[in-house]
Amino acid sequence: MKRRTLIQTAGGGALGLLGAGLPLFGYAQDRFAKYKGQTVVLSIPAHPHYDAMVKLLPEFTKQTGIKVEVDKLAMARMKDKQLLEMAKPSGDYDLICYVVMWKGEYVKKNLIRELDPFFKNAALADPNYDFKDVVPRYVENMGLVGGPKGYLAGPGAKLYGMPYGAETSVLAYRRDIFAKHNLKAPDNYTEFEKLLPILKDKAGIGALTSRGQAGHQCVHAWLLHLNPLGGKVFDDKWNPIFNNETGVKALNFLKLVSDTGPVGIPGYGQGEMITSFLQGQAAMYLDSSLIFGQVNDPSKSKIAGQVSYVVHPKGVRHSSQSGGLGLAIPKNAKNADAAFLLMQWLTSKEQDKAVCRIGGVPSRNSTMMDQDMVRQYPEYITLRQQLEYSDPDWRPIIAEWDEINIQALGVAVSEALTGKKKAKEALDGIVPKVTDIMKRGGYLKG
Amino acid sequence: MRTPAWVPWVYLGPAVAVMAAACLYPLLSALQLGFYDWSMGTPWGEAKWVGLDAFSRAFQDPSVWRSLRTTLLFAFVCVTAEMVLGIALALALEGQVRAMAFFRTLFILPMMIAPIAVGLTWRYLFDAQFGLINAILAVFGHAPVGWLAQENTAFMAIIIADIWQWTPFVFIMMIAALANVDGAVLEAARVDGANWWQTTFRVKLPMVMNVIAITLLMRLIDAFRVLEVIYILTFGGPGESTEILSLHIYKTAFVGQRLGGAAAISVLLLIVVAGLSWFALRLSNPLKDEER
Repeated sequence: MKRRTLIQTAGGGALGLLGAGLPLFGYAQDRFAKYKGQTVVLSIPAHPHYDAMVKLLPEFTKQTGIKVEVDKLAMARMKDKQLLEMAKPSGDYDLICYVVMWKGEYVKKNLIRELDPFFKNAALADPNYDFKDVVPRYVENMGLVGGPKGYLAGPGAKLYGMPYGAETSVLAYRRDIFAKHNLKAPDNYTEFEKLLPILKDKAGIGALTSRGQAGHQCVHAWLLHLNPLGGKVFDDKWNPIFNNETGVKALNFLKLVSDTGPVGIPGYGQGEMITSFLQGQAAMYLDSSLIFGQVNDPSKSKIAGQVSYVVHPKGVRHSSQSGGLGLAIPKNAKNADAAFLLMQWLTSKEQDKAVCRIGGVPSRNSTMMDQDMVRQYPEYITLRQQLEYSDPDWRPIIAEWDEINIQALGVAVSEALTGKKKAKEALDGIVPKVTDIMKRGGYLKG
Repeated sequence: MRTPAWVPWVYLGPAVAVMAAACLYPLLSALQLGFYDWSMGTPWGEAKWVGLDAFSRAFQDPSVWRSLRTTLLFAFVCVTAEMVLGIALALALEGQVRAMAFFRTLFILPMMIAPIAVGLTWRYLFDAQFGLINAILAVFGHAPVGWLAQENTAFMAIIIADIWQWTPFVFIMMIAALANVDGAVLEAARVDGANWWQTTFRVKLPMVMNVIAITLLMRLIDAFRVLEVIYILTFGGPGESTEILSLHIYKTAFVGQRLGGAAAISVLLLIVVAGLSWFALRLSNPLKDEER
């Protein structure tokens, strides 16, 4: 009777509207029954994917009886709060959304739980979950810790989180502008470099929008170019090599992007970067696939229906970023099992499609292959191609990365963007600081 | 009957003890933290004793000195401008001006807005593409300016935001002080032939000098603690051009995860602020008349 009621409810209302499937929950009642009435406290950022996710939560509560309390914070403030909560003997959070760069640190500090025991627990695990359907690059990038370099798949790697709000980089361009001026989207960095000033000149708007604000934002933008151009931050023995010829070339390219882009790029965070493209101030966008849901939203975009996508241009290799957000269960969670059930529900095939329909980003291959979804988001075809090149090692997400990213590279790249220093001078200038951080972290002898 | 000497201590003791604990505990904790290498999110038991290492690093770190210089310049420009503007506004509006209540309310509004909201508001105002400031410039045919994209203009932007938010504080302190100036003294000055200029600078302002000193002190301390607005507006950039010491401490603690290092720099900041406060109080100590 209870099961029938659940299925009847599921057939209509919000679930029907969002298109969530039924079979998963047909078998679900026993799995959830034990946790009915519990409240999962979920820490999330202000972020388009999670804004969409929040709309799904009432359905989760309706189906499972598990309540969800959301603590939403600005992305930049979320980590401090999470660290404080997770350091207590008993914290307030049962489930946290984390930025990929934090995974190593959280594991190193013993703050989050390994997920294998949950997935192996027959009382909790959903037999229809189909783990292999979750984009493997995303799983590697977002979830694995302890493998090669500490953050890649391989011997020693264990699963600590699931991708949810994960992303890669794609090149979006204004089809109308390119057609008007008889231009072609760049296939490689040689074409890309030539195109920027031409586009700026012909289109009369910025060529390519980009992040550029000091700290994480400008480093993210620089790394986007460094990887396809063949560069890395460290060599295999963790010696800094970001100041080599490739590093300088990537930074000079970013300077060109800034000079030919919309005014003010050295002050742009992710928000300004996206807005300038959506509001028609730039002809191209090369960044997170997060933009898919926003381009055709008339409340945010003036360029709906005028955007096409191609894969990230090739340098010496095809490469794109791999990052974004994931879900993990704190060590000190009071309702860890219920938190796992919520995580499993959110990352299920059905809910992955559901969140994408309302502006989220996909984490599963089945979502990107689904014909209805592709009709709504033709860009998933490009995304699938791009994911083949998505590089989980595009930045070294060791525990020390935040400091290197924000307090060393984030200053040098910013100074080169404003023209205060030449690219080579700026990057050379922070090698001692980065070396010092790596020595402190035990990666280098000193 | 004469009150025994210990009686005031009995009355004041508990309040003084609570105040002392509230002030001293965090201070001593910060000092203690400065001697340890401890990362947030790990048990305190795992903290490593490093002695004076964090203090030594703080003194040798060029970023700390650069941030200190930026902080001093920021504090000097902001506090000077706020004091001058706040006093000028108070003098202009102290009398019976029409719609006085409206003006007073209007002027104190910025002070009541949360710093995060102030940061966001000014970030949008300074936006190179869609900001109001560039829109106004465009009316006069000026090309858009990337205010937050260049070191000088970004520094100017954080100063403007601070002046906008905190001039009202000076205004409200001064207008209250000016309202308490004895009208008879001013009348006497006028009878003696003093003009507006002389009345203002030789009579009125000297009479409220104690309030000016305490306002200056409070603004000075606040200017050294400002964080949120700069965090939102520039995050210390471009480069490190707007990274004042409190933001540097924040980054050391929460980005670099070096709480000991952050505590050591905090102690440095405390010494600087204490020194400047002492200097400000030397100008005019509002408590000196109370000394026994």
